[in-house]
Amino acid sequence: MTPGPRAFLLSDGTDDALAEAAEMLQLDVVAVHPAALLPAAIDAHPSARAIVVATDDPVVLRAIVERAGVRHIPVIFAGTNDVAYRRAIEFRVDDWYLAPGSPIEIAWRIRSALARVSAQGNGAGHHLERTEYEELLYDTLTGMPTLPVVLERTRGLIKDRGEVLVFYLNFVRYSKIEEIYGWEKLDQVLETTAGAVREFLDANALGTMRMMVGFANDDDFIFFQIPDKNQPAPSDRQITEIGRQLQLFVGNRLEEAHGEDVSSLFDIYIGSSHVYYTPKIRFERLIYRGIREAANAARSVEQRERGRRVTALKQVLHDGALYIEFHPIVLAETGVIFGYEALARGVPRSLRSPEVMFEVAAEADLVWELSRLCRDRALAGAKELLHGNQLLFVNIDPHDFADPGFGELGSVDPHRVVLEITERTAIKDYPKFRERLRTFRERGFRFAVDDAGSGYAGLGSIANLEPDFIKLDISLINSIDTNFIKQNLVETMVGFAKEQGAMVIAEGIERAEELETVKRIGVPLVQGFLLHRPERAGVAAGAHAARA
Amino acid sequence: MDASAASAILVVDDNDDNAEIVRAMLESRGFAAIVAHDGDEAMALFESARPPLVLLDVMMPGRSGWEVCRLMRQHPEHGRAVRIVMLTALAELTDKQSAIQTGADDYVTKPIDLGDLERCVRRNLALVTPQA
Repeated sequence: MTPGPRAFLLSDGTDDALAEAAEMLQLDVVAVHPAALLPAAIDAHPSARAIVVATDDPVVLRAIVERAGVRHIPVIFAGTNDVAYRRAIEFRVDDWYLAPGSPIEIAWRIRSALARVSAQGNGAGHHLERTEYEELLYDTLTGMPTLPVVLERTRGLIKDRGEVLVFYLNFVRYSKIEEIYGWEKLDQVLETTAGAVREFLDANALGTMRMMVGFANDDDFIFFQIPDKNQPAPSDRQITEIGRQLQLFVGNRLEEAHGEDVSSLFDIYIGSSHVYYTPKIRFERLIYRGIREAANAARSVEQRERGRRVTALKQVLHDGALYIEFHPIVLAETGVIFGYEALARGVPRSLRSPEVMFEVAAEADLVWELSRLCRDRALAGAKELLHGNQLLFVNIDPHDFADPGFGELGSVDPHRVVLEITERTAIKDYPKFRERLRTFRERGFRFAVDDAGSGYAGLGSIANLEPDFIKLDISLINSIDTNFIKQNLVETMVGFAKEQGAMVIAEGIERAEELETVKRIGVPLVQGFLLHRPERAGVAAGAHAARA
Repeated sequence: MDASAASAILVVDDNDDNAEIVRAMLESRGFAAIVAHDGDEAMALFESARPPLVLLDVMMPGRSGWEVCRLMRQHPEHGRAVRIVMLTALAELTDKQSAIQTGADDYVTKPIDLGDLERCVRRNLALVTPQA
């Protein structure tokens, strides 16, 4: 930033935080007491850039806002409670913060207010550099404009056309991506999502005027459509269809970039509302009300969809409409296939993700039935698949042990089967659980602890299960090449596994650098898209038979 | 701001002596360093100086090192580029897990050994993506 002549920040009271915030913005604070003198001070300081006020005297506040408005200077209100803030909003202050605020927050508020005033087309904010506005006006991750920008840009148009359609796009289960893969992955996925949404809307003839809003650090998007003057607004049915297509489009893009495991995990629910312009109600309130209605509509779509999924799952169980993908686990040094992990996927697209399928099953109390079907299918497929000493890794839930039918393997040798138990499930009764494991171990089964190191269980609990394999949590492998704490943690796990006589498996290997790093640390077994994609071996014959 | 300060390492420690020792260690190895004594000062310097690397003490009055780490990671422009090293012993597995979730890249155990610190700084600076 090139140091230019200092500009002023006027305030009716100053403290250290405000002074620091002003310093960050390279503004000098001029304190004006009492607040009633501020309107005159605005005129007296031609290089005033922003005003921060704490007064909640309505007469004074109104005078300040009016005076500042003439000079295109933003007013930022330092409120001590919600009531004061709402009143200040009524008087049209440009931004506010809860006092006492931190210097950083205050600086951001002032900056964003400056940016908005500048976006209205005058040069009042030229003191700050252009790129800094852009940080505030556009969500850096998605490149989408933020709500204040869109409101300013569309205000005139909406008044002119008299109506606007608000779409609310609710993205579900993005938090799950963070939980499973870590925050780095979620950032990448959000980037892909935003790009896909933009691409879809560009290609979709929704109307002449569209505006998109992204929320930083949130999963949802809002989208405004201002209908063409001579064109009717889309019907509810058309909107539903657009939503369906959008979900498909974004899903495909995510699958190309991040694989089916990620793409099948999430859903988009779209709600919409129609806002008609009326001069009686303040523009911002109209829009926010519209957003709320659209958000509620999105939520009810979600609830309907949940009900539909339970029905779909019952159908899957009845028809046996699921198939197994086998994801190879290989020796890190040689790439030789050591075994396969069986992943169950529902035939209906909405139940493609095992996580989603089991989530629905848990809601509908159908976990045992689903588990049983998945296991049967995995074992049936494994017979043709396994060669030599290769093993089959099957995910199980601790509750499965209570299922009397659990452990019936058809003609598969138990010595070829590794039961994966996730570290994420809480095991309440350890002695009883260990006893159950022992009987299975005596029959030849082996055990793996899945998602190890995710923080749900300590090493003590893992040791308690006496696993033959320890599968590291995916979030530890993602970007391990650049994170030395992850490397250190994985080293610890490798050492621990050696003591326990277990083998470590690193899953989720997507990049060559990740593979090199885990090999260097001494992880013997690896799994991930870099090495193999999951293979759909021997498409479940039963599914075809049942559907025929 | 002079050229050396532009790539200076930000050291954050509420204890003046500790901060100065780390700064002296860094400077003895040819690295430029700037010092902040609490979370707010750290955020202000982070904002203005955009350090490629931050060495963060955990136990500080006010905002803890973890909170500062999280805040830095959320910074829209510089949050993903910066390397963050915690100045603490992550002795327990759970400490390491929460450090990873908070967004830390590395750690150096206190009391700081000059050799450890230098190795840590070098391997992290080596991963800094050059700024446009």
